[in-house]
Amino acid sequence: MFFRFLESFNSEPLLLYLAVIGIAVAGGGIPPMIELNRRRKIENSLPGLLESLASSVGAGHGLQEAMMEQAKNTPGLLSELLLQTLEESHASDINSALTSFSAKTRSSQVQRVMMLIETAMDQDAPLQVILESLSHDYERLNDLINKRENELLGRGILIIMFVSVGLPVLIAFIVGLFAPASAGFKLDDFNATFGTFFAAASAVGVGVSGRMLGRLKGYLWFLPLWMAISMGLYLGAVKAIGGG
Amino acid sequence: MRILDEKREGLYVIRTLDVLMSSGVGLEAALHTIGQGGYGIISEDFSKIMKKLSSGNSRGIEYEIKSMMNTAESDGYRRLLNTLYNNVTQNTDIVETLRKQGSRLEEERAEEVKKYIEELGGVPETLLSIGMIGPIILSIAGLIPQLLTGDIAAFMSIPDPDLIKSVVNGGLVITLVGMFFIGLKAHTKDPGL
Repeated sequence: MFFRFLESFNSEPLLLYLAVIGIAVAGGGIPPMIELNRRRKIENSLPGLLESLASSVGAGHGLQEAMMEQAKNTPGLLSELLLQTLEESHASDINSALTSFSAKTRSSQVQRVMMLIETAMDQDAPLQVILESLSHDYERLNDLINKRENELLGRGILIIMFVSVGLPVLIAFIVGLFAPASAGFKLDDFNATFGTFFAAASAVGVGVSGRMLGRLKGYLWFLPLWMAISMGLYLGAVKAIGGG
Repeated sequence: MRILDEKREGLYVIRTLDVLMSSGVGLEAALHTIGQGGYGIISEDFSKIMKKLSSGNSRGIEYEIKSMMNTAESDGYRRLLNTLYNNVTQNTDIVETLRKQGSRLEEERAEEVKKYIEELGGVPETLLSIGMIGPIILSIAGLIPQLLTGDIAAFMSIPDPDLIKSVVNGGLVITLVGMFFIGLKAHTKDPGL
């Protein structure tokens, strides 16, 4: 029965293409998610590290010494990367160590901070004041990013659920109940049109949800899958309720 | 979009200028450092200024900064350029002004994020409403030729099925466009974090 149900979608090539492409492409969306999590962990611990560095520098330590001390004593991914960089580059100068560290983190926040520290050292600027100021700046920035993430994540999921799942099932119910194919209604063209509409609406919904959270590129990997789910839900529900 | 890039980079540029100039670097050298890259569209702008100055075709840094003010789209970036211009022409205390401007820009950014979250609060429900009303009406319209048959069809003049199909297709496209424009504010009002 299940295979007969699946075979009934043979007349919907768009759905089949989207499903195959969607499943294949969805795997590509997982690495960006893992990378985002890793980057956010690093960025969230950046203000703490800067604050500790400011205290150590204020106590009279050199920057490299302060960094080594903090890397050894503070837990977390950022400290691990810092320790690894400092151990690898003990023979080279601090500037190349900072550049190597910022490249390893793959975070634009860390890269900016390291660039500014390098500039400050080149210009003999007061490091303690700069580190403290950077720590406050990035703490506020990360608070805002986290706030946006926390408050909009639920709404983003709600958009996808409403548009990609709720909407096609609702319309399929109405069509299936009032114009069942089992009662002789000819719905092939009608269903093809509405199926395509729900796929497109789902694409809009996923796009809006991704843009809201500032990670549209990451969400694009899941776009074909959601389009296929939306289209499949509509066509499946119409067939299940209305027969045919 | 230029305005988003300006908003995103503006604060970092101010902080870098603050560090550079408070440690004794001159304005031209500071602009040159930022122009070397890392600050998006602002780096490109400053690089253009430096290229014009070094080519010898420029009337001076103040004119280049002033002309860049016409290109700037965000208020924060325009204010920054104005501060740089005033420093060149009137020798103002740029470090102090940059610090004040940085704090102000930061407050504005926090406000914008708050507003952004509030404004996007109703988007899921609005998208569902628009996405639901259109298809419900259009699905009934699309089924009219099959629903109204027999005696009822004799009393009413039912439009041509092709015309109904065109209306349904057009309606669905309009619904999609409507949904797209509702969602567009997620992009246009982005605070640029």
